[in-house]
Amino acid sequence: MARYGMALDYKSCINCKACESACKEENGILIGADKHRIWVGVPEMEGIFPDLSIGSSSYEPSQCQQCDNAPCQEVCPTNATYYDDNGVVRVNPEQCILCTYCMQACPYDARYIDDRTMTVDKCNFCSDTRLINGETTTACQATCPTKVRIFGDLDDPNSEISQVLRDREHYSLKTHLGTKPKLYYLT
Amino acid sequence: MKTEISRRRFLQGSAAFTVVAVSGAATALIEKKKHDEVASFGLRKTQWSDKLEEVPTLCEMCVNKCAAIARVEDGVITKLNPNPLFPKSRNMLCARGNAGIQALEDPDRLKYPLIRVGKRGEGKFKRVTWDEAYEYIKDKMVKILDEEKDNRSTIGFCAGEGMAEHTYVSFMKDKIGSSNFVNHSTICLTTTIAGYSLTLGGYGQADLENAEYVIMAGANRAEAIVTPDTMDMFKRTKGRGAKLVVIDPRFTNTASHADKWLPIEVGTDLAFVLALTHVAISEELYNKRFTQENMSDFEDYKKHILDKGYTPEWAEKITGIKAKEIREVARDFMAHAPRSIYYQGRRTAWSFQDFQVRRAQAIFTAMGGGIDQKGGIIFGKKLPLGKHEISSPTYFNAQGRIEKNKAAVIGTSGSWIAWRNTIIDGTAPYPVRAFFAYKQNPMLSVPNTTKTRQMLETMDLVVVIDTMPSDTVMMADVVLPESHYLEREDPVKTFGGSEPSIALRKKVVDAKYDTKPVIEIMRGLGEKLSKPLFEISKKYDEELQELIEDEGGEEAVYKQEGYDLADGFRHSQETINHHMVASVYGEETWKTLREKGIFYPDMDKYFKQKSVNNYQYYPEHKKSYSVIKGDLEVEPYHDTCVDTKEMSVLKKEFRTATSKIACALYNLEKKKGVDAMPTWRDELYTPTPQGRFRFITGRHGQFTQSGTANNALLLDLMGDNYLWLNKRVAQERGIKFGDKVEVKSSIGAIQIKAYPTEKIGPNVVFFIHGFGAESSELTLAHHRGANDNMIIEDHYEKSFGSAAMHETIVDIRRV
Amino acid sequence: MNLNNLLPYKKQTLKSFFSFEFTTANVAMFLLSIALVTAMFYGIGVYLIEGHHAYGVTRQHAWGLLIAMYVFFVVSSTGLCIMSSIGHVFNIEAFKIIGKRAIVGAIIMILVGFSVIAFEIGHPVRMVIYNILTPGLTSAIWWMGTLYGMYLFFIILEFFFLNNNNHKYSTIFGLAGLVVGLAAHSNLGAVFGFLVARPFTNGPFFPLYFILSAMVTGSYLLFLMYGWRYKMKFPPEVETFLYTLAKVLGLLLAVLIFFEIWRMLTAIYGNMPERADVAMHTLSSANFLVGEVLLGMLIPFAIIIYSKGKAIKTLVYASITGMVGIFWMRYDLVHDTQLAHMMPLKIKEYAQTTPFVEYTPTLVEWMISLGALGLAVMMYYAADKFFDLDHKVEELH
Repeated sequence: MARYGMALDYKSCINCKACESACKEENGILIGADKHRIWVGVPEMEGIFPDLSIGSSSYEPSQCQQCDNAPCQEVCPTNATYYDDNGVVRVNPEQCILCTYCMQACPYDARYIDDRTMTVDKCNFCSDTRLINGETTTACQATCPTKVRIFGDLDDPNSEISQVLRDREHYSLKTHLGTKPKLYYLT
Repeated sequence: MKTEISRRRFLQGSAAFTVVAVSGAATALIEKKKHDEVASFGLRKTQWSDKLEEVPTLCEMCVNKCAAIARVEDGVITKLNPNPLFPKSRNMLCARGNAGIQALEDPDRLKYPLIRVGKRGEGKFKRVTWDEAYEYIKDKMVKILDEEKDNRSTIGFCAGEGMAEHTYVSFMKDKIGSSNFVNHSTICLTTTIAGYSLTLGGYGQADLENAEYVIMAGANRAEAIVTPDTMDMFKRTKGRGAKLVVIDPRFTNTASHADKWLPIEVGTDLAFVLALTHVAISEELYNKRFTQENMSDFEDYKKHILDKGYTPEWAEKITGIKAKEIREVARDFMAHAPRSIYYQGRRTAWSFQDFQVRRAQAIFTAMGGGIDQKGGIIFGKKLPLGKHEISSPTYFNAQGRIEKNKAAVIGTSGSWIAWRNTIIDGTAPYPVRAFFAYKQNPMLSVPNTTKTRQMLETMDLVVVIDTMPSDTVMMADVVLPESHYLEREDPVKTFGGSEPSIALRKKVVDAKYDTKPVIEIMRGLGEKLSKPLFEISKKYDEELQELIEDEGGEEAVYKQEGYDLADGFRHSQETINHHMVASVYGEETWKTLREKGIFYPDMDKYFKQKSVNNYQYYPEHKKSYSVIKGDLEVEPYHDTCVDTKEMSVLKKEFRTATSKIACALYNLEKKKGVDAMPTWRDELYTPTPQGRFRFITGRHGQFTQSGTANNALLLDLMGDNYLWLNKRVAQERGIKFGDKVEVKSSIGAIQIKAYPTEKIGPNVVFFIHGFGAESSELTLAHHRGANDNMIIEDHYEKSFGSAAMHETIVDIRRV
Repeated sequence: MNLNNLLPYKKQTLKSFFSFEFTTANVAMFLLSIALVTAMFYGIGVYLIEGHHAYGVTRQHAWGLLIAMYVFFVVSSTGLCIMSSIGHVFNIEAFKIIGKRAIVGAIIMILVGFSVIAFEIGHPVRMVIYNILTPGLTSAIWWMGTLYGMYLFFIILEFFFLNNNNHKYSTIFGLAGLVVGLAAHSNLGAVFGFLVARPFTNGPFFPLYFILSAMVTGSYLLFLMYGWRYKMKFPPEVETFLYTLAKVLGLLLAVLIFFEIWRMLTAIYGNMPERADVAMHTLSSANFLVGEVLLGMLIPFAIIIYSKGKAIKTLVYASITGMVGIFWMRYDLVHDTQLAHMMPLKIKEYAQTTPFVEYTPTLVEWMISLGALGLAVMMYYAADKFFDLDHKVEELH
């Protein structure tokens, strides 16, 4: 069907955490320090006052990279982690046995344990709350004040995300591991 | 020797360790239940049930009023999504906006009217009916007004910003007749509103969508409140179209987007701006034609700047910013002018010279020519709405404000600090004996909490209208619970700017508890108080007595002159809104507004989706950038917090050539003794002594002052406030991350955890405002973090009585 | 057909089952195992009510003490199986006597290991269902789990045939158990070795070294089992066995030390991030230096070298330190894998990043883990009561 990915104009991020709260509200994620599907990474400021390095202070919003070659999928003993028709890496809570091997295998710290089902959970691009009803924006994308995120179909050459990835330079995280992440940081 | 274990002993033993195992685990059962309840409340995945409704509303978690669409399933709100139709909110909802559900469902919410039992401040209340509450208020007010001989101003009242604020304010001011009103202006933005309005004719809107060079001093748009400025600015920083210079003693999230961050000595902004002006003047970088055509007394101003010697070298000594940098900023600013803006700022209650700082900023921006132009400070348009008139009687015995002489210009919203201090220091010309608060939490929001408590304790009657049991609520005699913003319809509002629109807050869900929207509270109070207070007026107000004789009887006067206090509040808000909209735009528009929440002319034609994230509201040629033709006849648009009537009055009184940008306010100097032109005064600035610290306060992106301190979701994002302390200073004093320290000023001390960081200078400390609630009814906020107003000294500047919150020197020690 | 015909066992009454010789050592062992098992049940009770919150595992450190303990038991089991197979599969004379005792030990260890991990895996019943219905064939855990299941089946059958003195079938199932056990065990190593996200652990080292480490563990356990059984008064064939075992252990330890040296050298060489820093952290921690190296390898190795393999009584005691060291090897394996931050940034302003992920096991985890040792002792006691685990002297020549 589609192959969804997300481009992040991360320089626009102001670390307001709107995306974090929208994600929790949309997907009913529990409150708690460990329990987040998405986050904004805050690097430690470099420099000594007053010579601080503004360049080192860019924020890094991130979440599950929905890898095309997901290590979490490869290591799941019951295939509870699977690729759905949209290329989104999903977790079937009925089949998850909580061996947490996927949490070991994930290079991005994208996974956590949902206390209610006692299964592993992670960002699923709002597949079961928005995509399933024909909406094509994720909660984090929709709510962002500075519109950091562009979500769309990578296999559609006319989609906005495909265009922006052609027009602009971008990088992804830990590509040397061969995970083929589908989150692209626009520089 | 063999030992045998008998069967019995074996069974006993195994029973024993089963009991041990289970009982020890039983205590965990209770813990788990509590954890579950907090951990998931309000957070629900959509079930996409058939009974799903989408109701447009406007967020009230901060002052920006972003448009949201509430997704309601079976009477429960599962999500708040952005409403893309509203030009002002640009299709977004910040962290606070999303957390509106938690605020609605907060188990600590005020649920029914309360009357105090026990001592004031103890926090012991009993539940009463609305009628009983009104009755109590009536009895007290009758007694007070009788003793004060109908001096209506003995009833003091304060309000926090809100869409229904003016409903309450007009009741207290126009119907009850008191002139002792205070609101957030003087603890927030009075000096910048006054500074820009008196200089440019209006506070205006910074066109950050098109500006090329922006100086943001102190304003923290990435964190404080998320306004259209935020949304426009940060998409264009970091080499993507706009240059941002941030002047702030602290490296905020806004500074992380800057091209240049200049840490400044706290309280010395005026020196910086004057030096910038000096460079622009001495190097003749300003827009000569613009200054000639549009500015009055500019030659005087030039002479003033040059004569006083406000050179960058002079400023470097005071501000700590290198002269070279000042020159570069001034030159870059003028090079990019007219698309250069010295950002107005929002909370500007910092130092004694605040008003002059804003004046100097406004003049400097104007020197670049960026006024009423794309890319500069614009005024935009405002769509008209029908009027909802409230008849207001005249109370002859109502005296003027008690603190009217405490600063040069005291407006209708007074000076919170001066007003409060006047009550407790004995200089009030008459006693203020009652205090009504609506949606404001002075115990936490006004400098010097101790004095606020003192003031409240002198009152005979304290009535608080709020949604949460704040510290101020704990000091009340009568608590009237307002419905949450998602439970009520509020007055329709017109939002001006380059892309004006009208927005409506509709009721999303029925009130969960026995609460009322403020219009109904005013109605109830009005019904109860009208006749008894009329009697008091009749007794003491000679003008009224004459009027009754002349106009033919009490009934007539009562009805026609507005002494029926509930008159004007009897209709439902929906009826009032209907009238305000349909009377100007017709029924179709009213229907659209109710369905979509937003309206502006030709909305169907103009509103388009440009990309997955961005929408067009008005086509470029329809946006209102330059609106001023000739004399400033078009009412310049102000942001939500500005009292436009007040500003008009001020302008009329103090500006001479009203159509020009005023470099000098000679009338202000003549009548009120305020410097006509921005002048640096050494006596108004004290450098921080060695070894001590200047305390500054501010905001983070997840909290709105003290109003959100109990919100479970927001506290999940940031659980505490911490003290920003320079890392090297912390190291010297053996203070590590998370250590408790005591911060002490001349008026109080607090304890807080330390956050050593290089993002703040060695002689400044900071922590975010809004924490440290004492109220035990706020389960999550109670004793969490520290209250900055416990230590902020109650200084205020003498032009408008605005608080000077950054003039407090503190000492730190580890505890 | 009664059970005794199928699988010969010694009949016990309740009274005879619970009676043992009242020596200091026996009583101490009895009380210790009662205490440990009580602790285990208490810990399990807390877990059943609180769930994973009873443990100190976090999002960044999802595998904790229980996983380490599972590995500990499973390695012990495989080790005993391998050592046992030296005797009755490969027919090395000196090892022939340990057949039954070693296999019973292997069975008990793996059962205890499974019981420990049953309280770590969130949905053990679901695991059995979906491992069969929707197997993840690229998952080392799937292979490990399935193969260990088969392994358990084979060694039970092996024990069954050993007890019936059926040498043909016991050898067949012994070989099958060995092969499947080796496969399962190296897959356990591959659970860690396949992790591309974890540079310190990724690679062939763990699948390979696990077999070696299993044999070392098996050797220590054999010293302990025979030391306890004969209370240091060994009959000649046992003495011969132990002397041989000591030499074998010496060789194994030499190889193990060699492996470890090269593992650490290649890890720190070149200063590769997430590998060299983790290695340096491990090399400077007490877990590794005192636990793994000193107690687990150096002390027993030194004793063997100095005594030329003759000090078997000392070696029994040294095997206690050896097992403690083995425990720390398992703990370090699990902990070191997770030390490097996958996402090193802080996500809140008011937070501090730590250079490495931190983890402390909770009391409940310790209770279940160490308590399981008590369970193993109790099951061994029961096995000793019901079965004749001694070798038959006449069979040897």
